[in-house]
Amino acid sequence: MTQLLVVDDEANIRLLYAQELSDEGYQVVTAGSALEAVEKLQSNAFDLVVLDIKLKNESGIELLQRIVKERHNLPVILCTAFSCYKDDFSAWLADGYVVKSSDMQELKDEIKRVLAKRQKAQTAG
Amino acid sequence: MDWECCWSKDEITPEGCPYIGDGEEDLYTSHRRRVVEKCVECPRFKNDLARLKSTGHPLAEVLPYILTEFQEQKAQMGAMLSFLNSKTREIKFLREVGLVLQTSLDLDEVLSVAMTAITAGKGFGMNRAFLLMTDKERRNIRGYLGVGPKNYEEAWHTWEDLSRSNFTLKELAKNFQKTKLTSEKVKFHDILSLLTVPLSDQGHIFNRALRSKKPILVENALNNPDLDRGLARILGVDTFLVMPLISRNRRIGVIIADNCITHKPITLQDMQSLETFAFPVAFALERASLYERLQEEVAKQKSANLKLREQQELIVKMEKMALVGKITSSIAHSIRNPLMVIGGFARTLLKGTAEDDERHGYLESIVRETRQLEEVLSEVLDYSESLFPVMDLWDLNKLLSSAIDELGTTLEESGVVCRQELANELPMVRIDYKQISYCVKTIISTALAAMERGGELKVETELDGDGVLVRISDSGTALTRQAQEALTAPFYLTQEMGGGVGLSLCKTILERQGSSLSIMNRPGGGNTYSLRLSTRKEAI
Repeated sequence: MTQLLVVDDEANIRLLYAQELSDEGYQVVTAGSALEAVEKLQSNAFDLVVLDIKLKNESGIELLQRIVKERHNLPVILCTAFSCYKDDFSAWLADGYVVKSSDMQELKDEIKRVLAKRQKAQTAG
Repeated sequence: MDWECCWSKDEITPEGCPYIGDGEEDLYTSHRRRVVEKCVECPRFKNDLARLKSTGHPLAEVLPYILTEFQEQKAQMGAMLSFLNSKTREIKFLREVGLVLQTSLDLDEVLSVAMTAITAGKGFGMNRAFLLMTDKERRNIRGYLGVGPKNYEEAWHTWEDLSRSNFTLKELAKNFQKTKLTSEKVKFHDILSLLTVPLSDQGHIFNRALRSKKPILVENALNNPDLDRGLARILGVDTFLVMPLISRNRRIGVIIADNCITHKPITLQDMQSLETFAFPVAFALERASLYERLQEEVAKQKSANLKLREQQELIVKMEKMALVGKITSSIAHSIRNPLMVIGGFARTLLKGTAEDDERHGYLESIVRETRQLEEVLSEVLDYSESLFPVMDLWDLNKLLSSAIDELGTTLEESGVVCRQELANELPMVRIDYKQISYCVKTIISTALAAMERGGELKVETELDGDGVLVRISDSGTALTRQAQEALTAPFYLTQEMGGGVGLSLCKTILERQGSSLSIMNRPGGGNTYSLRLSTRKEAI
């Protein structure tokens, strides 16, 4: 079963993600901070991370850089409140970008796309 | 005795003396003056003297002595008077020139006065003069200005004109500055351009004159083995004067003067007069060129100050922009997250609610309204971002490919095939990546909307002068002119936020980046959206 890690500092949003993505058939683990995310990354084998770019008192970008460095095979989709993420070039390290929306279809499509791309790359590799 | 001359008569009639001319009529009645001025030189008086001698009168022996002595004295007096007159004229001329030289800060005026004084008949009367000045870097002496006729024809023409006019030297100089300064520079350009000499060339006659601070008269240059024949050949004369211009030990330049037309010899007196004249000229030239440089520095300072002020204003503006950025980002987070929670859970609930349940309608309303609010938020944020583009050089083909990639799923779902005809080796364009990427995606989305039943989307790029042209074409329904206008009308005029401002915003963004957006009907159906992006840095 595909396992996702969702990182967001808002409990309600984590709950929403967990519900919606579970309905899609994913196993969802959530983290409310970068520290929690790092801990969970160490103890689980995730297939993809959904990461809010802005965490309380922390930068999602830093976490992204750490994931890319330590787990370069783990794809990351960045979620943002608005499209200013491209200002920070390190955000380009992510595999996908989604603007947060109550309609989660875009996120679901993006997850599918990134996973399929990764799958293809692994099969080819 | 009956004398031939009228010397013995107190008063005479005009028939009495044929040597009294017009304007001298008072001599008819003034006996003393008539004798002193006319009779002593009159041939009739000489005849009378001879007759007196023949009578044996003792005075007849001594009178000629007195007469000769008187005539010599008179001639000397006349010569002295004429010398005095010429000196007075010279002093007057020098004073006139000196006055301008002392007061003028205008380099052109100083040049005009100096060169006119050297060449005008009322001045030193040389045929031709060249002024050479030390360059700003103080490396070379360069030909700066030549004044005088080029050939006999021009010389006679000019001199005839001048002899008819009655200008003072000052007027001549002013006239020269106004009508001839530039043309004379052009006229002698060929000679002037050959006169550049490095200040380090110690042996050159210019440097020798500057070192000795004395004028050098070159004579018979073409046959003198000690002299540089090149200079004589350039000037086309073998006699010329090289006058150093020195002010406070600073080498200002050199004046070369010659009589290329009349070949009149240059006398020691010419040299001395010119030497006296060279001092104030050198001083005035130095002062005027220093003033000119000062003016340049002041202008530079002024423009630097202006730039500084602009930079300061820009910094203030950027601080404001940063503040706007912070505010928008903060609004984005504090509104987007609650909206997402409200709308998201409403959708979850909606999925588990039967359509006949009355709560179904309420939940639908929540979902719809939240969606509307989210759209408004996106548009406000997009707009606020569009106000502050970050310009950089980007590969437009890559931007287009990645935008098409991003929309891949949407294209597939709409049954639209995308054909890319991107030109090779395009230069980078200066754009705000995010904004242009947004524009491209919005245009593609608009194009897709015209192809409800599928079709072909064509994306082309081509080099267009100092820019790159992008054409995005659909094969859908052609838009009417009104529809085109409505799509790109300034959104703040016609539309409400949340009502779809896509292309209007694109147009605003493109225009702000010095570009433009145009929509045209495509021959054979469909629409073409064209935008041109510049490679040049432009002030936004």
